[in-house]
Amino acid sequence: MEPAVIARDLTKVYPKARAGPPALSKVNLSIPAGQVYGLIGRNGAGKTTFVRIAATQLMPTGGSITVLGRDAVADASEVRRRIACVPQESRPLYFLDVDQLVYLYLRLRGMDRSEARRRTDSVLEELGLSAVRKKLVNQLSGGMRRRAMVAMVLASDAEVVYLDEPTTGLDPLARREVWGAIRRASQEHRTVLLTTHYLDEADALSARLALLEGGEVRLEGTPSDLRARIRHPYRVTVEGVLGRSELQSYGEVSDIASGFLVFARESSARDLAIFALGKGARVSMGPVSLEDIFLQVVGRSIEEEASEGAES
Amino acid sequence: MNRPRHRLRTILTLAYLNGIIPIQTQPLYLVNVVASPFSFLFFIAIASQGRLLGYGVAGGMLLTVLSIGTSLQTDMSHYKQDLKLQDLLVASPVEAPVYVAGLALSELMYSLPAMALFIVLLYLYTSVTVLGAVTIALVLLLVWGFASALGFTLATYFQDVRETFAISPLISIGLTVLPPVYYPISYLPGWVHPIAYLSPTTYAADLLHGAVGLGGPDLTGGAIDWAVLIAFTLGLLVLASLKARWREP
Ligand SMILES: Nc1ncnc2c1ncn2[C@@H]1O[C@H](COP(=O)(O)OP(=O)(O)OP(=O)(O)O)[C@@H](O)[C@H]1O
Ligand SMILES: [Mg+2]
Repeated sequence: MEPAVIARDLTKVYPKARAGPPALSKVNLSIPAGQVYGLIGRNGAGKTTFVRIAATQLMPTGGSITVLGRDAVADASEVRRRIACVPQESRPLYFLDVDQLVYLYLRLRGMDRSEARRRTDSVLEELGLSAVRKKLVNQLSGGMRRRAMVAMVLASDAEVVYLDEPTTGLDPLARREVWGAIRRASQEHRTVLLTTHYLDEADALSARLALLEGGEVRLEGTPSDLRARIRHPYRVTVEGVLGRSELQSYGEVSDIASGFLVFARESSARDLAIFALGKGARVSMGPVSLEDIFLQVVGRSIEEEASEGAES
Repeated sequence: MNRPRHRLRTILTLAYLNGIIPIQTQPLYLVNVVASPFSFLFFIAIASQGRLLGYGVAGGMLLTVLSIGTSLQTDMSHYKQDLKLQDLLVASPVEAPVYVAGLALSELMYSLPAMALFIVLLYLYTSVTVLGAVTIALVLLLVWGFASALGFTLATYFQDVRETFAISPLISIGLTVLPPVYYPISYLPGWVHPIAYLSPTTYAADLLHGAVGLGGPDLTGGAIDWAVLIAFTLGLLVLASLKARWREP
């Protein structure tokens, strides 16, 4: 199947920021249809810029982007019929109640009454909002409000859904309810492009991920591709008995409250575990989390920036 | 898919959600729209001992419809900047002209009670013919059109709602206070006339004054008034379609 979103050399320089580095520079991404795709990266990495260009809200300054086979710049009106988006920091119209918010959004998109009613009821149920459906939106907590926004777009018939930090500010249970709804959307063969700072969330939901840094794609692939791509794909924690100097030959060592955390290659990790267990230390071992990958990759580039700065 | 019907549905839905629902929850909104044109009308009627009442009513109607543009712009700036509603709708089948038409219709709801009061005053104190009534309706329709197009275009440029508060009053003054909306143009000193003729509201007011039976239209039987008003409205609609920033550059 053709990818849902294809970006080629996509570049963005904001009009008022001509001096600085581009917000996106020559980004090439191919987002498969019918899956959840995660965009991660530090604050200012360019996630929102990418999402807004793909959602036809912002003009690129270079390269091209197609959505569902159509050019998002030239054919925007065709694209817009088939997409939906919860922008970062968007808030619902406060004088509506939750039910009206979802139902009227669907009506605005041109859905007929009975279909809009049916979908509103089921999405409110699914996202645990049925109990507050008649409450005014501005009487809801921040997390509930965010959930109502997500409910709106997931209830739509859009084939590509953009969610820019949909779960920021949600409690752990509410996040999982949103995850469920996002998974269901992808089971219906819809494409979801998701940005998040919760890397467990990106890991749990995304079939593929891209890590952006400074407007460029640093890593791209399935979560296991990403693990395979980094230098130290295993993490070993060692508690008690051993000191830092005895661990250093196995990989990158850092302090944690109860002992040490070592990032290592698979074979060194195994050797380290056997060695430490033999010495009577408590050991746990596993593949790195997405957060570890993030810190290894982004952390390194920050160090590089710092050393470049020192040299010049 | 039936596009025109979809568009109409979207326009009516917008008018319902931004017009009827807020009015139902807070009817005081309606008083606000009535307040300023009627205080003007009151002063003018008192100060002229009733002679300029007709001008007050004509001017009040014009001001009420113009203020739709201002409210539209304030609402749209707020929705765009604070709620990110514009982005939400850009990434949907809702097209810019449909959004503007829907919100313009919703703002019209707020002015209906004021318009009803003006119609009663017209009926009681002036002698409006059928042709006059049609003229009033068409003039106000054009004013509604250009005020909405202007409000939308400005709203898409502002980065911050506070800019709106700075600029809107200037535009209001340019459109309603300087031009002879509340009195005949002959009251203005000669050298001000060319300035007054820069504002489209001068032409709209001239037609309205004629329609409510106050002598006019002063300008060649209204032909120039109509031509300028229509050209200005079309011009602003074209400007809105070319320059309004539905998608951010
Ligand atoms: N409207 C704008 N005008 C000028 N520069 C902008 C604008 N919006 C974003 N930028 C810049 O573009 C870069 C990318 O920003 P973007 O919002 O895409 O980051 P992000 O990855 O979404 O960050 P966050 O995680 O904080 O949401 C940043 O350097 C930001 O300062
Ligand atoms: Mg962002």
